[in-house]
Amino acid sequence: MTEASMIGLLVATVSFGALLYLAALGELISEKAGVLNLGVEGMMAMGAVSAFMAAHQTGNPWIGLAAGIAGGALTGFLHGWFTVVLGAEQVVSGLSLTILGLGFSAYMGKNVVGRPPGAVLKPVDWGPLTDIPWAGPVLFGQAPFVYLAVLAGIATWFVLSRTRIGLALRAAGDSASTADAAGHSVVGLRLGAVVTGGGLAGASGAYLTLSLTPQWTQGITAGRGWIAVALVIFGAWRPGRAAVGALLFGGLLALKTRLQTFGVDFSPILLSMLPYVLTITVLIAISIRARNRPSPAPAALGTAYRREER
Amino acid sequence: MPCNDDSGRLPGEVALTQVPAVELVGIWKRFPGIVANAGAHLRVERGTVHAVLGENGAGKSTLMNVLSGVYRPDEGEVRLDGTPHRFHTPADALAAGIGMVHQEFRLVPSFTVAENVVLGAADRILRRQDVESRVDELARRFGLATEPDRPVWQLSMGERQRVEILKALWRDARILILDEPTAVLTPNEADELGEVLRHMADDGRSVIFISHKLHEVTGFCDEATVLRGGETVAASLPVAETDAATLAGLMVGSTSLAGGRPPSRTPGDVRLAVSGLCALGDRGLPAVHGIDLEVRSGEIVGIAGVAGNGQRELAQVIAGLRPVTDGTVHLGGKDVTASPPRRRFGSGLCYIPEDRLGVGLAPRLSVVENAVLRTYRGHRRGPFLVASRMTAHCRDLVDRFGVRTGPLEDPIAGLSGGNLQRLLVGRELSSRPEVVVAAQPTRGLDVQGVKAIQDLLVAERDSGTAVLLISEDLDELLTLADRLLVMHDGRIVAEFDPADSERNVIGEAMAGHLTGEGVA
Amino acid sequence: MRRPVLVRRDRPVRGGQPLAFAVGLILALAVGAILLMTAGHEPLRVYQRMFEKSLGDPTAWSLTLNRAVPLGLAGLAVAVAGSMGLWNIGAEGQILAGAMGAAWVARIGGAWPGPMLLTGMLAGAIVGGGLLALVPAVARARVGVNEIITTLMLNEIALRLLQWLIHGPWKDPESFNFPLTPMLPDQGRLPTLFGRAHVGVLIAGAVILVFGVAASRTAWGYELRVAGSSANTARYAGISLKRKILTVLLLSGGVAGLAGGIELAGTADRITEGISNGFGYAGIIVAALALLRPSGVAAVALLFGAVQVGGQSIQIIGVPASVSTILQAFILFGAIGAGVFVRYSVRLVTTGVDASASGDGDDGEATA
Repeated sequence: MTEASMIGLLVATVSFGALLYLAALGELISEKAGVLNLGVEGMMAMGAVSAFMAAHQTGNPWIGLAAGIAGGALTGFLHGWFTVVLGAEQVVSGLSLTILGLGFSAYMGKNVVGRPPGAVLKPVDWGPLTDIPWAGPVLFGQAPFVYLAVLAGIATWFVLSRTRIGLALRAAGDSASTADAAGHSVVGLRLGAVVTGGGLAGASGAYLTLSLTPQWTQGITAGRGWIAVALVIFGAWRPGRAAVGALLFGGLLALKTRLQTFGVDFSPILLSMLPYVLTITVLIAISIRARNRPSPAPAALGTAYRREER
Repeated sequence: MPCNDDSGRLPGEVALTQVPAVELVGIWKRFPGIVANAGAHLRVERGTVHAVLGENGAGKSTLMNVLSGVYRPDEGEVRLDGTPHRFHTPADALAAGIGMVHQEFRLVPSFTVAENVVLGAADRILRRQDVESRVDELARRFGLATEPDRPVWQLSMGERQRVEILKALWRDARILILDEPTAVLTPNEADELGEVLRHMADDGRSVIFISHKLHEVTGFCDEATVLRGGETVAASLPVAETDAATLAGLMVGSTSLAGGRPPSRTPGDVRLAVSGLCALGDRGLPAVHGIDLEVRSGEIVGIAGVAGNGQRELAQVIAGLRPVTDGTVHLGGKDVTASPPRRRFGSGLCYIPEDRLGVGLAPRLSVVENAVLRTYRGHRRGPFLVASRMTAHCRDLVDRFGVRTGPLEDPIAGLSGGNLQRLLVGRELSSRPEVVVAAQPTRGLDVQGVKAIQDLLVAERDSGTAVLLISEDLDELLTLADRLLVMHDGRIVAEFDPADSERNVIGEAMAGHLTGEGVA
Repeated sequence: MRRPVLVRRDRPVRGGQPLAFAVGLILALAVGAILLMTAGHEPLRVYQRMFEKSLGDPTAWSLTLNRAVPLGLAGLAVAVAGSMGLWNIGAEGQILAGAMGAAWVARIGGAWPGPMLLTGMLAGAIVGGGLLALVPAVARARVGVNEIITTLMLNEIALRLLQWLIHGPWKDPESFNFPLTPMLPDQGRLPTLFGRAHVGVLIAGAVILVFGVAASRTAWGYELRVAGSSANTARYAGISLKRKILTVLLLSGGVAGLAGGIELAGTADRITEGISNGFGYAGIIVAALALLRPSGVAAVALLFGAVQVGGQSIQIIGVPASVSTILQAFILFGAIGAGVFVRYSVRLVTTGVDASASGDGDDGEATA
């Protein structure tokens, strides 16, 4: 276990953590507004393929990022349309979008599989800051996505807890009829939340193909969308706690491929089960606690809202 | 038509202007299968407290939902200060200065008082201290003391109602609508509310007060409009000059109220005995604090009390739907404290729950499926249910209890409240019980429905059943009960003889003031 | 401003759901056609081949039926839980768990005679699937934990468990470093029914039939419906909710597990990671389209089976397999969209505050 390998582990932890966090933030916003989005995996895939292909075509990675966000947001819009406007079951719509997103992205990307990337978003150059031992490479040697994730996290926290629209969004997720009676458009809030969520998931996917593993293959998302869903619950629907969880789960992901170099004789596959096991445990704990106080989950999560149903 | 003369104006009332603050003209509103408003109209002068009276189901709530933008009227016009307005969403009504306090509060339980007050208002970025101190100021100004930083789920009903009123005031509502606000208040809290409303009227705002309780109306309203069957049967009656009997007659459609009490019988053995009963409420706090009571065969024991004092929980405990933390329940001498509901039903108990469509009946199932809820195990052949037997049983109930329904395979949610209750009560009573526990059995029914259910309960009593009747309707209890108990804060605080007691004494007991006079 | 608003109809349109389904199908085919054209294929030729290879002759039918088995059983699993208002999102993992259970029996019972081994494998599959559903079932029944998330997480856990087994204890020592398990013994394969179809088709059909009858005609099914309609009513009627939730989720897991066992013994040579192949998630869509009715599940599963088999058959002519996935998703979306209009109609309403002229000069147009 050398210093270099430790640093490598920490760098990877932060990278993977940011990857998960971006998608998780999107899911958090969506769920806070009351919409369960099980289509994250599909939106990540759509974002990944859109980003890659756009960067490939134009040679500009920032256009790639924009395309990735747009791809995710568009898929998110579909989910919002079906569930919020038309009132379809959120679970069914979300899962179908995962299936559709994975399939459609495979179809779109079939010609660029394995091709070298057109453009890559390289780590940001912070100059001398990168030379600080330990903190340097870990905190300052990362791709722009990591800083994007941090900013997104702070922005999410601020908007949700300190602004009018954040209050309205939380109301839409906790008691939609109250938000409606207060004059807010529940449909608009939820739709906006889902599209934002999709966009963040798309950004996360773009991170994959533009930076982390810069190429496109089918299945590049590898189930990380599900981890994002798990993260929201693990973090009890709070951006701060979700960030901690993201680092934890990211660390597990990073550790998975490094167990041998650290001389630990534990199956990496079993290690990769941990995030899911931990999430189930946390969820059970939350539910037990929720018997005497309200659960941290948004109360209207998963239900459609219609005003004139008698 | 506007009245410009000075007669009937109460002291302190703002000068009558030509143009009323609110005018609803010819409102029609239909839902699938129901006409809720049939050409209703209403006229409220500025700076007055105006009561909208009517029985349950008369169309009061619907009319107010039209005024507050929740429903769009099929026909008719809404005028504010003479100007017609068309609201598509509650936001439009809010913008026009209308604030509504609903019966079921529209609050987000996990938000604080301040967050709830501010939801929907125009501030962009909220600094917590600023908001909380401004909310505090407003509360003091109108006598609505509260703690701005407490989460709402911790508050009592009365406190939550204050938050609702604060919400309206925060947005400077010029017109305030309160839908049955005192349903969850003690008489004292109701009086306090009356003061708050007077403050607002004196401040130049207009208050609309929906109720079906006459004594509140006479207490603090200036004018009253009466609705019946979706129509306006009397508009803007000056309250000071109209007596309660007239108002009541307008509400029920005849000038004389229903007559005397059914003759009592001599009660027999004790069929239901509850001793030292304690139980927790939904939120884990004690709701029932050591109740002792007995119901004998051939008598109706009534339990009076303001909603939220443990009556619901008591009924659930007796039925076996809520666990007991202390004490016992005996049915016909047998200790059933630990028995599940099914066993108690087998021992002769029948329970008519408050919550018709959520507990007693399964909303998404058909009429037949609901009719056999208690008896389906008897309609089996092997593991299979015999459809013909189930349908026959259902038809029998429907015919015997006069339930008006479409095809029996249709979902039950299509039935009206009265028919739902007839089916429910009929289903329960047809099992020939020895003890009946009825919780709010006539709530929300029209006049015929109320009479039908009351007759059924009296018939049960006359045939020797022991009936425990829990009701928020004191008149009903005074008419039907042989003995009247009052529950407050989870305890039986008084017993009265219904034939020989005064309403206000009972009311005080309901509020928790024991005077020593009415205590039997 | 005039804005469209959804208003509930007094009565849903008659024959609505099959109609919605048909609309979905047409929409999917149209979208698929566009996609195919942009990739340079002729849609009609592609669809024709898909149809021939999935429903054109007995061999095609046999392939389609094989495919319909896991889709139908997974759909049934979701539908049974769904009729009580519970979401089993874990069919994907339960199929894997079922396959694992069957494979485990095959490993220890390699010397058993055929019928005994097969019965044992299928029993192992049912138990495997049920076991995976145990934690979500208990958590939901006793603590009220939302089963959507717990079953979802267990999908990933089951997958990794299988991966670990394949790379570790179950690895075939003769497979030269490739992570493969040994092939199933010969008597561990389901006999053929006709063409390429295996006996599992009959088993699945029987299971669906039994559940269909049980759900609609027995007291058990009635109790399920009551419990699904309203928890309080069920309690009031003396139905033990905890027991119902537990049994339904375990049954659901068992049915999905059975699908895994049949897949293993019917179409696969050995257990692999991909044996669940998305059937679990597709089962949710099947159940949704079938409105949670077992009869509908069979029909929809057949259709989806045909689409999948057809999708595979066109890869030879250069069309990517993902087209069939896309088609399935669009059938659902089209059906969802059309299904909404079965229950709701669209009305145009005026929005905003309209102050008509009465001397105020107020335009009063507020945005909603």
